[in-house]
Amino acid sequence: MNQQRLGLLFMAPVALFLLVGFVSPIVIVGWYSLMEPRSFELTTVFTLANYRTAFTEGYEAPFFWSLGGAAVTTLTCLLLAWPTARILHALAGRGAAVITALIAAPIFISESVRLFGMSLFLMPGGGILAGTLRTLFDVNIGSVLNTKLGVYLGLVYVHFPFVLFPVLLGVALIPPDRIDAARDLGASRWQVLREIELPLALPGLVIGGLLAFVLCIGANAEAAILGGQTVTVLTRAIEQRFSYAQDWPMGAALTILVIAMTAVFVFPALARLDLNRLIRR
Amino acid sequence: MTDTAGQAPKPVALSLQGLSRQFGTFKALDSVSLDIEEGEFFTIVGPSGSGKTTLLRILAGLDQPTAGRLLLRGADITKMPPNKRPTAMVFQSLALFDHRSVGENVEFALKMRGRPKAERHARALELLDLVQLGHDYHARPVTQCSGGERQRVALARALASDPEILFFDEPLSALDYRLRKTLEVELRELQRRTGRTFVYITHSLEEAMVMSDRIGIMRDGGLVQIGTPAEIYGRPGDRFVARFMGEVNIFELNKGHLTAFDQNLPAGNRFMTAVINGHMVVRPEMLHPVQPEDGGVQFDVTVTEVFHLGSRVQLHLDSVAGQLVAELPASSPLRAGQTVRFGFDPALAHCVPE
Repeated sequence: MNQQRLGLLFMAPVALFLLVGFVSPIVIVGWYSLMEPRSFELTTVFTLANYRTAFTEGYEAPFFWSLGGAAVTTLTCLLLAWPTARILHALAGRGAAVITALIAAPIFISESVRLFGMSLFLMPGGGILAGTLRTLFDVNIGSVLNTKLGVYLGLVYVHFPFVLFPVLLGVALIPPDRIDAARDLGASRWQVLREIELPLALPGLVIGGLLAFVLCIGANAEAAILGGQTVTVLTRAIEQRFSYAQDWPMGAALTILVIAMTAVFVFPALARLDLNRLIRR
Repeated sequence: MTDTAGQAPKPVALSLQGLSRQFGTFKALDSVSLDIEEGEFFTIVGPSGSGKTTLLRILAGLDQPTAGRLLLRGADITKMPPNKRPTAMVFQSLALFDHRSVGENVEFALKMRGRPKAERHARALELLDLVQLGHDYHARPVTQCSGGERQRVALARALASDPEILFFDEPLSALDYRLRKTLEVELRELQRRTGRTFVYITHSLEEAMVMSDRIGIMRDGGLVQIGTPAEIYGRPGDRFVARFMGEVNIFELNKGHLTAFDQNLPAGNRFMTAVINGHMVVRPEMLHPVQPEDGGVQFDVTVTEVFHLGSRVQLHLDSVAGQLVAELPASSPLRAGQTVRFGFDPALAHCVPE
C-alpha cells in the first residue's frame, strides 16, 4: 500500500509535465477545432463546420502528399535499412562502428543545413550531381531540385538513420542458429527471410517504420527547401491556416485530423509490439 | 581400427573423405575420413574444441570444408546447400522457432516443401505421437514447453521431412540427469524403430556408450579411434582415449617392467611380447584389496578419500605409483586413513603404445 503511494509520488513530476505540456495543448487545439471559422475565442458554442470544410474544400491534396510521401519514404527506408543492417550486423567488431558513426553523424547537424547542402547537390546546371554527370559522362539531366523527386530524396535522406538503428536492433534479435535450422529444414534464402528473419526482427522494423512515418507526416522542410512550390504538405497547410489565413479553428481541425490519422497507424502497430523482448536483449 | 569382422559390410550411408576445415591459420578439422553405415547410430565423442561441431556442421551443409569430399550413398554432396540435402539436424540450442507454435515448428520442413495443409497437419500429429507428446501440443506456443518437451519438439521437427540421416549436436547436454537418461533410451529406440542413420556428437562418453553402435573419438580436429563401445572401453587406442573413458590408472611399462612399482609382469603375460614400451591401463574396478598368495601386481596403499556412488564406492589411494583410483562394492569396509595391500591382475589390463 505504502509502496503504491510512493510510486504515485515518483510519477507525479512526469505526470504534471505531460499534463501541462502534452494534454492541455491537445485539449485547447481540440476545443478550437470546434469553434466558428475565423474566431479567436474559446466558447461553448460548438460546430463541426471546420471538419466539413476539411473534407470539402481542397485539403485532400495536402493529406494525400503528406500521407503518401510518408508511406513511400518509410517503405524506401525500410528496404534500404534491411540489407544495410544485415551487413553492419555481420561486420560487428570489424569496422561496423565506423560505418555506423558515419551514418549517424548527420543527425547532429541541423536539418535545414543538411537540406540546403542537398539542394546544392541537386541543383540543375552547375549542381554537384548534374555538373558531375555532364563533365564526366557528358550526360545532361534536367532539374531534380524543385521536383517531387527532390522532396522524396530529401525525405529518405533525412529519415534513413531513424529507420536504420531500430532495424539494426531488430536484426540483432535474430539468433543465427534459427537461420541455420531453417536452412537445414529445407528453407530457401527467400523462405528464411519471410518465415524467420522478418518475423524475428519485426519489433525493430515496426519501431523504425513508425518513427519514419510519423516524422514524415510532420515534415515540411524537405518540401519547402527541395520541392519549391510543387507540393503543399499538410504541415504547411496547417501553418498557413494559423498564420496568413488567421483561421485558427480551421488549422486546429486539420491538426486534430492529422493526430487522429497518425493514431490509426501507430496504435495498432504498437499493440503488436513486444517491447519487453526488445529491451531484454 | 578393425570393424566387426566376418559380417558382410553394410552399405555406406555417408562417406567422409579427408574432410578438413581451416579457420585462418587454425586447423579445426584435419583430414577426417570415415564411413558411416546405413542405419547405424554413430557417435562422435570429443572434448570441447576437438572439432566435432565443425565436423557436424559440414556434414549438414551449414559449413564448407576447405578440403575433402562428402559422399551420400556415393553421390558427392560436398557443395550441396543445406536446404537441398535429405538430412536434418537437432541443434544443441534446439533452435526452435519461438515465434511459432509447436505444430508450426514440426510442420516447417513440409511447409518449405510446399506440402498441402491437411497433409502437414496429419503428419505433425503422427510425429507428436512418435515423440510422445499429446495432440493438444499442436497449437501450444513453443515458449510454453518445458525443457524435455522442447527436446521432443525439436526431434519431431527434424523427423518431419523423413530425412535419410539425422544429425544431433549434443541436444541433451542442457537437461537434468534423469531426463537425459530417459531421452537417451528413447532416442536409441526411435533409431531402431525408424531404421534411420543417426550421427550424434557429444562430449560425454557415457552418453555415447548407451546409445551408439559405433563411436569415433575426436581430438585436435582428427579421429583418433573408431570402434564399438566395448572395443573403445576395453581396448582404448592410446592414453588420451583411455583417460577420456572415465577414471583410469595408467602405469608406465618398459619391456615388461612396471617402472612405478619396480615389478616385472609375470612370465607369459601377453604384453611381454605385444608391447615393449607403453602404458598399462588399469580400470578402477580392476583394483582391489589382495592377499599375498593372490599373485598379480601387488603394492601397499593408503586410502585418502572414500566417495559413495550409490551401489559402489570410489576410493582415492596413495601409493608408490602416486594417486590411484579404485572402485569397490558399497559393502567395502575400507575407510579413509587405512593402509591396505591392493593389487590387480595384469592379464585383465590393457596396454597402449607410447
